[in-house]
Amino acid sequence: MDVLGSGLVQALGLLLRGDAETWRVTLLSLQVSLAATALSLLIGVPLGTWLALVRFPGRGLALALVNTGMGMPPVVAGLIIAILLWRTGPLGQLHLLYTPTAIVIAQVALALPIVVGLSTAAVQQLNPRLRLQILALGATRTQYLWLLVREARLPLVAAVMAGFGSVISEVGAAMMVGGNIQGQTRVLTTAIVLETSKGNFDLALALGLILLALVYAVNLALTWIQQRGHPL
Amino acid sequence: MRRPYWLLTLLAALLAVAVAPAAAAPAAQGPTNREVILATTTSTQDTGLLDVLLPLFQRATGYEVKPIAVGTGQALALGERGEADVVLVHAPDAERAWMAAGNGTQRLLVMHNDFVIVGPPSDPAGIRGAASAVEALRRIAAAGAPFVSRGDNSGTDILEKRLWQQAGLTPAGSAWYLEVGQGMGQTLNVADDRRAYTISDRGTWLARRATLDLPILVEGDPVLLNIYHVMPVNPAKSPRINAAGGEAFALWLVSQEAQGAIAEYGVDRFGQPLFFPDAGRDESELGASDRAPASSDQLAAVSNQPELKAES
Amino acid sequence: MSARLATSAAAAAAPRGAPLLGLRDVRVVRDGRAILDVAALDVWPGERLAVVGPNGAGKSTLLQVMMLLLRPERGAVRFAGAVVDARRDPVPTRRRMAMVFQEPLLFDTTALANAMSGLRLRGVPAAAARAAARTWLERLGVAALADRPARTLSGGEARRVSLARALALEPELLLLDEPFGALDYPTRQALLAELPALLDAAHTTTVLVTHDPAEGLALASRAVALRDGRVAAEGAVAPVLAAAGLLPTAARGGP
Repeated sequence: MDVLGSGLVQALGLLLRGDAETWRVTLLSLQVSLAATALSLLIGVPLGTWLALVRFPGRGLALALVNTGMGMPPVVAGLIIAILLWRTGPLGQLHLLYTPTAIVIAQVALALPIVVGLSTAAVQQLNPRLRLQILALGATRTQYLWLLVREARLPLVAAVMAGFGSVISEVGAAMMVGGNIQGQTRVLTTAIVLETSKGNFDLALALGLILLALVYAVNLALTWIQQRGHPL
Repeated sequence: MRRPYWLLTLLAALLAVAVAPAAAAPAAQGPTNREVILATTTSTQDTGLLDVLLPLFQRATGYEVKPIAVGTGQALALGERGEADVVLVHAPDAERAWMAAGNGTQRLLVMHNDFVIVGPPSDPAGIRGAASAVEALRRIAAAGAPFVSRGDNSGTDILEKRLWQQAGLTPAGSAWYLEVGQGMGQTLNVADDRRAYTISDRGTWLARRATLDLPILVEGDPVLLNIYHVMPVNPAKSPRINAAGGEAFALWLVSQEAQGAIAEYGVDRFGQPLFFPDAGRDESELGASDRAPASSDQLAAVSNQPELKAES
Repeated sequence: MSARLATSAAAAAAPRGAPLLGLRDVRVVRDGRAILDVAALDVWPGERLAVVGPNGAGKSTLLQVMMLLLRPERGAVRFAGAVVDARRDPVPTRRRMAMVFQEPLLFDTTALANAMSGLRLRGVPAAAARAAARTWLERLGVAALADRPARTLSGGEARRVSLARALALEPELLLLDEPFGALDYPTRQALLAELPALLDAAHTTTVLVTHDPAEGLALASRAVALRDGRVAAEGAVAPVLAAAGLLPTAARGGP
C-alpha cells in the first residue's frame, strides 16, 4: 500500500515540478489519442449514420464486421499495421513506422469501429417517424442528417467517450508501431510498462495516476457537453 | 437552425492538438538518411546504457537513432527483413548463423558482461558454491526448485537453453519450470515474487538490485559470459536500408568515445561498471582474469550484502 | 409567407376550381398488395378535407404521398398545377406544405426551438423565426412553455407545440394525421374548438385524417372515405361519415 501512497506523492511532484520527460509523454499521449478520436469521430459518425439509414446488399455483414472490430485487440491491430508500415511492407515508402503518426493510425483502427458501431445504434434507436417529420418540415438531405445527429447526441457523445477511452489506455498498438522510443514515441502507457520492467514501481504508478487523471478530465468535459440541457 | 459553435470549437481544438506533433517534427517527413533504426535487446534498454550512448552518437555524427528494444530473436528477424539498419545483440550462436545467411556486412565485438544465476536467499536447491553453472542447474532440477525462464528467444534465453542441454536435461513442461516470455526486468520481478531461481545478465541485475531480494548464487563460470556484437544489416536486404548510418553506428560503438562511455557506465550508481568494453579484442580472450567481472568479495565490499559476507 | 401569398394570388388568377393538390391514378404497392389505389382525388384551395376510414385503409399512406414522402409506383401528383415527384427534388414543394403526425415528434430541445425549427430549416433568420414561433405558441396557448425542454411536456402540450411548429410555417397545405388521437377528452375538445379559427385566419388548406366523427364534423368542409386503399365515398362530411359507418344511426342511438 505504501507504493500507492508514494506513487501519488511522486505523481504530484512530477507534474508540479514540471519534469520534462513526464510532461512530454503526457502531452504525446494526449495528442495521439485525441487525434485518433477526432479522426474516428469525423469518419465514424457519418459512416455510422449512413449504415443506420441506408439499405444496401451486404449491410448485415458490414454491421457484423463493425461490431467485431469493436473488440479488436490493440496488440493485433498494432501488429497488422506494423507489418503494413514495415519498410518491406506495402506502405513502407511512407516511412511512418516508429512515429507518432503510426500510433494515430493504429488507434484510429481501434476507435473507428467503436464510434461507427455506437453511432449506428444511436441513429437506429431514433423514432423512424421522426425521420419522416424532419423531411416533412422541409429539410434538405444535409439538414436531415444534421438533425438526426443532433437528436442522437447523447449516445453519440457516449460513442466518442468510448472511442477515446479505448485508445488512451491501450499499450499494445502503441508499443508495436511506436517502438516506445524516448522523446519520440513514448506515451504514458508504454512508459508505464518500461518503468515497471525496470523495477521503478512508484514511478510507474505515478504515471498511471497521471493517466487516470487525464482520462477523467477529458471525460468530465465530454460528459458536460453530453448532459447540457438534460438535468434529469 | 442554431449554429453549433461549441461543437466546431471543440473539433478545431482537437484537430489543433492532433496536428501539433506532425507540425513539430518536420524532420521526420519523407525518406530521411539521418534516421538509423537500431534493433537491440531489452537488456541494453533496461540497464539505461542506450540512454547514455545514443545521445553521444547523435552528437558526434548527426544521425538520429531509433532504438527498438525487443528480444534477440525479434531483433535478428527485423534485421533479416531489412526493417532495421543495424543490430546489437548478445547471442553468439544465433549471430553466427545470421551472418552466415548473409544478413549482415560485418560482426564487431563491442562489450561483454556476464550472466549470473540468482535465486532466493534461502537457496533451497543448494547451488551456492556449485562448481559450474551446469552443475547448479542440475541441482535445481533435482530439487524441483522453481526456476523462471525468459522463454522469449532472447540472448539470455538462448544461453539458458544451451546450459540445460549441456546438463542433459529438458525442463520444459515440468511444474517447477516457468516460462514467462518477457524481458529481463519482468522476469526478475516474477522470480522475486515466486522465490525462484533465474539466470540474469549482471547489468540488469545490478540496476534492479535495490528492489529485489535475489542474491547472486553462482557466477564467474566462463560459459556465463554475455558477449555483445554489433552487426550492420546487409543493404541488399532492402533498398530502404540506411547502410551508411548502420555502418556509422557500428563503427562508432567500437570507437574510443563509445568504449570509454561503456567502461564508465554504472560506476557512479553501482560502484562498478555494468559492461566491459572489448572492441578490437579476440572473443577467445574474454574471461581472462584482468578483465574478469568483479569477484563476489569485491562486490560485497561495495554492496554490503550480508549473504556474501557471511560466505567469505 | 410570400410563397403562400403567391399561390393564393395564382389560385385567384387561375381558372376557378383549379385544385391545389391533385392525385391521378396513384397506386402504392407493398408486399405485393396495393395499399393505396386512388383514381382521382383533388384538394381545393381553402377547403378542409377530412379523410376517414378503418385501420389499414391507406389514410396515412395517402398523406405521405401528398407530402411527397412516398413515391407511388404509378400515377401523378400535382401541386399548384405542376407535376411533382417525391424522388426528384421534392424539397421546394415540401416547403410549401406542413405535416403533423400522430405523435408530436418534437426535437430534444426547448418548445420554442421546436416551434422555430421549420422556419430555420428554410433559412429564416433567427430573430424573425423566434418572433413567429412565439406568436404561434401563444395562439395555441402554450407561450408559457417556450423555454421548457420538449421531453418534459405533457401529451397535450407537446401536441400544441407540434401544431405551432407546423402552423408557424404558414403553409399553403397543412396535412394532419390523426392529430388529436392520443389526447384526453378535455384537451381534444379544447383544440377542436380553437383550431378552425386558427386555420381560417391563415386561409390554410387542410387535409385531416381522423377516426373520430366529431372531429370530422367540427373541422372539415368536405370528406373522403377510404376502404382498402380505394376511395369509397366523397362529398359532404355527414353523408360520407354515414356511408363509412362512422356515424351512429338514430336507430342504434348513441356510441
